[in-house]
Amino acid sequence: MSQIETFYDVMRRQGITRRSFMKYCSLTAAALGLSPSFVPKIAHAMETKPRTPVIWVHGLECTCCSESFIRAAHPLAKDVVLSMISLDYDDTLMAAAGHAAEAALEETIEKYKGNYILAVEGNPPLNEDGMFCITGGRPFVEKLRYAAKDAKAIISWGACASYGCVQAAKPNPTQATPVHKVITDKPIIKVPGCPPIAEVMTGVITYMLTFDRLPELDRQGRPAMFYSQRIHDKCYRRPHFDAGQFVEAWDDENARKGYCLYKMGCKGPTTYNACSTIRWNEGVSFPIQSGHGCIGCSEDGFWDQGSFYNRVTDLTQFGIEANADKIGMAAAGVVGAGVAAHAAISALKAAQRKTQDNKEEA
Amino acid sequence: MTTLLVGPFNRVEGDLEIRLDVQDGAVAAAHANSPLFRGFERMMLGKGPLDALTITPRICGICSISQSAAAALALADLAGVQPAPEGAKVAALLHMIENVSDHMTHFNLFFMPDYARAGYTGADWHGTVVNRFTAGQGSALRRAVEARAELMHVVGMLGGKWPHTLAIQPGGVTRTPTARDLIRIGATLQAFRRYLEAETFGGKLEDFAGLETVEQLEGWTGGDVALFLQVAAATGTGAMGRGTGRYLSFGAYPLPDGRVFRGGTWDNGTEAPVDFTAIAEDISHAWMLGSTAHPRVGETIPDEMLREDAYSWCKAPRLGGRTFETGALARQVVVGHPLARALAAEGGVRARVIGRLLEIALTQLEMERLLRDIHPEQRFMDQVTLPANGSGVGVVEAARGALGHWITVQDGAISSYQIIAPTTWNFSPRDGGGTPGPVEAALVGAPVTEGEDTPLSVQHIVRSFDPCMVCTVH
Repeated sequence: MSQIETFYDVMRRQGITRRSFMKYCSLTAAALGLSPSFVPKIAHAMETKPRTPVIWVHGLECTCCSESFIRAAHPLAKDVVLSMISLDYDDTLMAAAGHAAEAALEETIEKYKGNYILAVEGNPPLNEDGMFCITGGRPFVEKLRYAAKDAKAIISWGACASYGCVQAAKPNPTQATPVHKVITDKPIIKVPGCPPIAEVMTGVITYMLTFDRLPELDRQGRPAMFYSQRIHDKCYRRPHFDAGQFVEAWDDENARKGYCLYKMGCKGPTTYNACSTIRWNEGVSFPIQSGHGCIGCSEDGFWDQGSFYNRVTDLTQFGIEANADKIGMAAAGVVGAGVAAHAAISALKAAQRKTQDNKEEA
Repeated sequence: MTTLLVGPFNRVEGDLEIRLDVQDGAVAAAHANSPLFRGFERMMLGKGPLDALTITPRICGICSISQSAAAALALADLAGVQPAPEGAKVAALLHMIENVSDHMTHFNLFFMPDYARAGYTGADWHGTVVNRFTAGQGSALRRAVEARAELMHVVGMLGGKWPHTLAIQPGGVTRTPTARDLIRIGATLQAFRRYLEAETFGGKLEDFAGLETVEQLEGWTGGDVALFLQVAAATGTGAMGRGTGRYLSFGAYPLPDGRVFRGGTWDNGTEAPVDFTAIAEDISHAWMLGSTAHPRVGETIPDEMLREDAYSWCKAPRLGGRTFETGALARQVVVGHPLARALAAEGGVRARVIGRLLEIALTQLEMERLLRDIHPEQRFMDQVTLPANGSGVGVVEAARGALGHWITVQDGAISSYQIIAPTTWNFSPRDGGGTPGPVEAALVGAPVTEGEDTPLSVQHIVRSFDPCMVCTVH
């Protein structure tokens, strides 16, 4: 096997300066929540280690993950990671087409046997022997199995690969199936979201490329560094939730004041993702900031939970449902309702403590 | 006669396979197959109508605002209301940004890289194209991705996130921009204009938008546009892939006082309004069960037997029984832009690509104008009550052309949801009368060199339509 370039070689070849390279290392450390002392370690690893090849395949999907990815925050991060990936194989962005593309896939697998990361966007439909998604003349599920066989690890990009996403919505016409139900003998890291946040995608992939191991995963197989907190925990509108100030109707007075969207169906309280901290499109905003509740797109089954505008009702064990109503009413009544409001707020505090305990137990 | 199977196609959105019959060094017949089926229209059945706002945009990660806008309009129509005027303006701005982004992605990432191929080595322009447009590496690609990400800040700001923005609703939009937001958006638009004028056009947008004749176009000397014109002429690819001269547009960006780009049809010189009752989807050669039907009453029942005389999951939409091409060129021809009209008869690869570039320039000017006309103190969303029974239709123009959503609800649940996407029109299979779809027809006559298994000419023609295959079948 020929000598594989290091990350640093790849970057230099792409015309990236040493200074930019160091900046990239610090940004990566920051994105991954590592202390500054890790910066030289990342730099050293990237200078000396051969780059990890990545194969990126697309099944039943809408390409929103790729779209999110090429819009990653630091242009350099995207550039570098993208260049490392496109060196190998990617359906949407690569130069080759047709048989040449299929040959490139085979060649890449052969060349990096047992050493490459397989990034899967979308999922395989299993109905009718997989005929609902045919690429290169064969069902995608076969291509997936073939590419997975010699992979070191698999990244399931987005809600499709991780959980099935909207195409698995009842009645799931094509029997769209998440990757981990088809490939059972490889380490799989799930990066859910529809799509996942760009910085989360580059963060995960850089971590794997740099440290040559999977990041710490939670029980559902998601990288803990990005999926350990609820949107609600770090939501900038959280004080309004706690104060019982809610949007009651679209574009009402409260909406203009930026009150909590819980009553408009926001799923922030039950959704684990980094939207409220990292935000979207290079950190400018996220759905709640645009005045629309979270739909919980990084949670399993978000597409079949009844209306997206219904309040989260399976939270009653935490008492949030009852309290949001009470508090809303109390806040609307304001004067003379002091006692009721106080009672409700106390109940909410108790509920929060309960939530906290519940989480720690979990 | 030999048969070639071309696919998978890269650098198109989604999966595509084309079967070519080749005779005497040219394509004699083409069959376009959309091999990806997900069944969105079936999933919508029984769901609450508002679910359409979240689920249908997820048909496609690059035209999700188009789907979102169509769904919102269909629901507004169902309720018999118009969105709040300011909300309609913000929705239009969001949609314009997505369409412009799609056009520039197509030109830089999907279309131009074909000319960087080794097959063109030796041509005097090849070195420049390699530097600018090599897939994944060219300097133009990098700048385009960067400029696009910056432009998308506007969607981030107004829509919360992109792709799969939730802000567009039947009554307007969820986000009320502040005066400060508008200033920031203005700055972003100015930066984008500088990028376009420096890199893509190499000249003032007003000057490009003001071109009227093919001679004037050919005299354009700036930016990547001039490079494309040179390459298209030198390779002869510009004239390939001629369409039928029939163009369709549903009209883009509904504002309180009408659509920014009005809709209609253009049939080799004859203008007409779109007759929505004359639309029907033919399934003679699609793996679908049922019969030819208007989308109001159409069904989507996949034929799991994959019957022999069918070859695609894509239905064949027809207007008055005939095929129509849709997209940026069609839109501008219908609007009556002199350059687009001048290119209408030419109707090939060059015309389609220039149609898109022309629209980038025109839309940037419209975005700047629209931004000045948004009033933060007004209402951006009205309350909308959906009836338990009824039907509605929402038609918009996605980057790739005419998109329609037809919804019917019974007892508060969706009883029928049919979508016809732009690429469904362009990449439709043959209909009952054996008439090939627009791309199938445009491929006839494309030169195939001895030994080519993935003919370059075919790739140029197919990509000139900018297919979005995930939308096509959905």
